[in-house]
Amino acid sequence: MDEKTLAYINLYAVLGSLQKLCALDDEARRLIDGVDVSVGIAVKGGPEATLVFKDGKCTLAEGTENCTIKLPFSSPKKFNGMIDGTVTPFPSKGFTKIGFLLKTFTKLTDILTGYLRPAEGALDDPRFFEVSTTLMFYLIVAAIAQVGNVDKIGRFSASNTVDGNVKLAIEGGPSAYVKVENHHLTAVLEEPEEFMSYMVFGDMHIARDLFDGNVNAIASVGAGKIRIGGMILQVDNVNRMLDRVALYLS
Amino acid sequence: MRKTYEYPKSRAAFERACKVIPSGIYGHQGPAEGCYVPIEAYPLYSSKAQGTYLWDLDGNHFIDYMCAYGPNVLGYNDPEVDEAAARQRAISDCTTLPNPIMIDFADLLVETVACADWAFFAKNGNDVTTGAIMAARAHTHRKKIVFFKGYYHGVSPWTQKVDYPGVLEEDVANSLYVPWNDYDALAQVFEDNKNQIAAIIAQPYMHGNFMDNELPAEGFWQKVRKLCDDTGTVLIIDDVRAGFRMDIAGSDHYFGFQADMICFCKALANGYNVSALCGKEFMKNAVSSLTFTGSYWMSAVPFAAGIACIQKMKRLNCPQLLIDQGQKLKDGLIAAARKYDFDLHVSGIPSLFYLRLADDPTFVLHQEWIAECVKRGVFFTCHHNHFINAALTDADIAETIEIADEAFMVVRDRHQ
Repeated sequence: MDEKTLAYINLYAVLGSLQKLCALDDEARRLIDGVDVSVGIAVKGGPEATLVFKDGKCTLAEGTENCTIKLPFSSPKKFNGMIDGTVTPFPSKGFTKIGFLLKTFTKLTDILTGYLRPAEGALDDPRFFEVSTTLMFYLIVAAIAQVGNVDKIGRFSASNTVDGNVKLAIEGGPSAYVKVENHHLTAVLEEPEEFMSYMVFGDMHIARDLFDGNVNAIASVGAGKIRIGGMILQVDNVNRMLDRVALYLS
Repeated sequence: MRKTYEYPKSRAAFERACKVIPSGIYGHQGPAEGCYVPIEAYPLYSSKAQGTYLWDLDGNHFIDYMCAYGPNVLGYNDPEVDEAAARQRAISDCTTLPNPIMIDFADLLVETVACADWAFFAKNGNDVTTGAIMAARAHTHRKKIVFFKGYYHGVSPWTQKVDYPGVLEEDVANSLYVPWNDYDALAQVFEDNKNQIAAIIAQPYMHGNFMDNELPAEGFWQKVRKLCDDTGTVLIIDDVRAGFRMDIAGSDHYFGFQADMICFCKALANGYNVSALCGKEFMKNAVSSLTFTGSYWMSAVPFAAGIACIQKMKRLNCPQLLIDQGQKLKDGLIAAARKYDFDLHVSGIPSLFYLRLADDPTFVLHQEWIAECVKRGVFFTCHHNHFINAALTDADIAETIEIADEAFMVVRDRHQ
């Protein structure tokens, strides 16, 4: 497993999930109500982006130029260590906002962890199940783009992927797409207006079972529980990247 | 309007299969390979086959243009082939010592295939492409292999790509990829890898899936042949898919050059399981040196079937017959498409034609049209080349065009 790719996944997919968390979870939404703070994460030899908390929303922006708190990391491994809880970050900018980092941000990431690594029995609650599965879905879509752009094997898959949008969706649930342009991938966490190919999970339970590795994806396509269509070559390559995503998220 | 098919028994069988077989139906015939879209339009299991027809578990009848993905070249259950196989089965099949019918089969291939001085037998296409690569490496003492992008040469790790599950970077570390028909790119790869390339392996023309099939540019193969001669590189033609559907003497012969080794399977024995690697005299020692065999590779029944199959193909002038029938079908399908203002592209040699509706770059319209054909009894698949067999009659072609016409009408009505 490549530390640099993992760092991109951790920033854009894992921490990036805070965007949807703050829209989906009431407690998270309350925590950022009235907050105007931006947390920049700059990883030497890795990703650099800012989580902006403003107007009751969380968004992810490229770069760290305009952040109010900046967390520098000397390597992808150090940043991945923070996500694992083995490295404590020290801000290089925004000491006056340290309270947000220690309290609100930590609380948000705790809520996120709760959804992404559910405690036993937590998924029995239908609302928790829905939010957890939705967040997993968005995280995976975002991670596909990182694998396709950074991971050595993923880049090979991307090099064989034709241009156009690949729609990924859960029937009756979230929809997103991976935009492929000249073999560069961008995850867009909203319904596409048009797409070249699609992979749609039949319902939230099928999606969950797939995410948790409880059902076989190929058999599910055969059974019509996952629907694929359009430019199948794109789906084929995205599936190869999905395999790599599982390696990084396991 | 024809009544469209439903497949409850196929679905039930697939559900049963998934419990005891990984992914239910695996590999190229599996429903997740992207050739059956939408899945509901397709049967998944057959109950019987005869001639050019296939029946599914629900009793639906199809004119089958996949021909078991190639092996059905004379028609399912061809009486001459089956009789020869039955005769041999009564004598011997899988035995301690091989039956000399193996020599008869090799003799026939040497007599039939233009570049063949010998024949080596195995079971599947993948066996003989792998044997050919091993022999090329043994002969040249070089590691690297050149592939043309869009290729398919089987399923062994060396044939796959680095992002396929179960494949190691080391498995494909010596694979070099060149765009099809791009001689300059090929020459550059040779320049960059001097004295390191053991072989070029290629299908006679680009019949990759998900794309229009592309014939070789004028003089392309002759330039490739010379490049191989000049650099001491072995030229391997993978004729597993196209073999005997273009030219009984081999598809290299069709395009006016000679391979150093050529791989056959599919149409070799009309469904009996045998494959053959044929080649020139200078490669014989390298093939002899390989540790490469299998429990059933010298079984006699498929050899008898293969002899009967080749003899009948010769008698019928089978490649030309299949090309002619394929051309009639191609013309009819294109005309039917035009009636409804669709732009149907039919590429490749007509005996193994490839279909694509060019009106929609996403393939969705194409997938809808193919699905409507299948539900009415014409077994096409979305993104694989199709196959003609010798049992296909003019009446079958006419019925196919009639069904395709109705399918075009349905899709046009849906997308006014």
